[in-house]
Amino acid sequence: MGALHTSVPRWPAEIPAVDPAGRAVALLAFGAAGKRLLTAWRAAVPERTPVWSHVVDRADDDSLGLLARQVAEARVGWRLMLAGPEVDVLAARSVAIGLGVLDAEIRMVVTGAARKRVFCPHCRGTTETAAPVAAEVPCAGCGRRLHVYGHVSRRLGAYLGFMADAEEVA
Amino acid sequence: MTAVLSAPPAAATEEGGLLLTVAGVEEAAPGIRTVTLRRPGGGLLPAYPPGSHLVLSCGDRRNAYSLTGDGMAAPEYRISVLLCPDGDGGSAFVHALQVGDAVVAAGPRSAFAPVSTARHHLLVAGGIGVTPMLSHARAAARWGRSFELFYGHRPGAGAHRAELADVCGPRLRAFEQAAGLLDALGAALADQPMGTHVYVCGPAPLMAFVEETAAGLGWPGDRVHAERFSAADLDPGEPFVARLARSGGRVPVPAGVSLLAALEAAGVAVPSMCRQGVCGECRLTVTAGRPLHRDLYLSPPEHASGDAVMCCVSRSLDDELELDL
Repeated sequence: MGALHTSVPRWPAEIPAVDPAGRAVALLAFGAAGKRLLTAWRAAVPERTPVWSHVVDRADDDSLGLLARQVAEARVGWRLMLAGPEVDVLAARSVAIGLGVLDAEIRMVVTGAARKRVFCPHCRGTTETAAPVAAEVPCAGCGRRLHVYGHVSRRLGAYLGFMADAEEVA
Repeated sequence: MTAVLSAPPAAATEEGGLLLTVAGVEEAAPGIRTVTLRRPGGGLLPAYPPGSHLVLSCGDRRNAYSLTGDGMAAPEYRISVLLCPDGDGGSAFVHALQVGDAVVAAGPRSAFAPVSTARHHLLVAGGIGVTPMLSHARAAARWGRSFELFYGHRPGAGAHRAELADVCGPRLRAFEQAAGLLDALGAALADQPMGTHVYVCGPAPLMAFVEETAAGLGWPGDRVHAERFSAADLDPGEPFVARLARSGGRVPVPAGVSLLAALEAAGVAVPSMCRQGVCGECRLTVTAGRPLHRDLYLSPPEHASGDAVMCCVSRSLDDELELDL
């Protein structure tokens, strides 16, 4: 896939500021590097703006459930800031946009992109891996050999995989 | 809601053109006429996204009128038109229609559709601006979407009040005083669940109130949708030259003459409709030079990128603007 047309996110080097237009801010950080960013953001939130703030190890059912409950309680005017490894930030953004949050309401910083989740369109399972784009990984759901493709779904927060040998004669 | 357009009348054979018969006329409120249109031979009319409008040929003009149905394919289209005695004649044309008259229409065209990913729809209508909201409310009720409609109108002049009460039930909040409407809207905009989108159609002060209040409460522009009547009165602008990249022509555009009118006078055919920077029909690709955007159609990022221009109202910041023509 040509570099010009990939949907693999290119994360800006710049750290975004807290949106001064927000009436309430939620901060969610993953891991130690994310926590440092969160601490700086927290200090920058205007004094009277309510802040919801959590540092967690990773985006799992517990932490994503926590975020989903916060979005469900939020009123329009709310902003979300995410910091941490790409795999966790993408998963958290996926939950937020699935609940109707817009890109204009989310600011993100990625502290590393070593790990990724790969979606298998054959069994619809998701496999976490440290493999790079264009490598192959076995699907955790169905065992097929998946080629990790240079396409990232915003909705799923995952890379697309597809069966590496689909066109070979069995 | 109406937009008054000043293009030549549509030919009945135009692509998407519809020959329709007036099947009913009734007064929806004082000064507001509801017209029902059908195919002469009967049969379903094209479906449309809620908030769409029908472009009706009204004598020598073409006017866009909001369709008030839920958008499902049906044998009738309904429009409701406020008589504007000082207008350009479109509303007088509609008010003179009688059952059995033939009319030519194009469309429907969608420029004010509900956002499919919204968790809740906050609809705001002022006066005759209720017409696209009736369409939105009907569709939202039909498909079980979460919504609420704030409707402000003059005492006794609330078009479609009874139908809306039927469609919306307790989700309709009607006001006969502007102050009451604005207070209630201010409170509503301050307390909407995440994922809400707001839609407004009505007089300019109401639209400005919603946009400014929402922005002040931290609503991103992407959540605020306004169905505009027309662009504000525009100044004549500075003269410039349109350079035609493909044909190699040069068309001078004097002050007070639109780029669209100058191109037409030079024999360059450009599709157009509203001529007010609203409909999106006359979009041209810019290959060099910086456009001076004055339309309401392109988004702020599209304005910033500068690679397209709505030639009916927009002009050029530079002495020359190169177009892909």
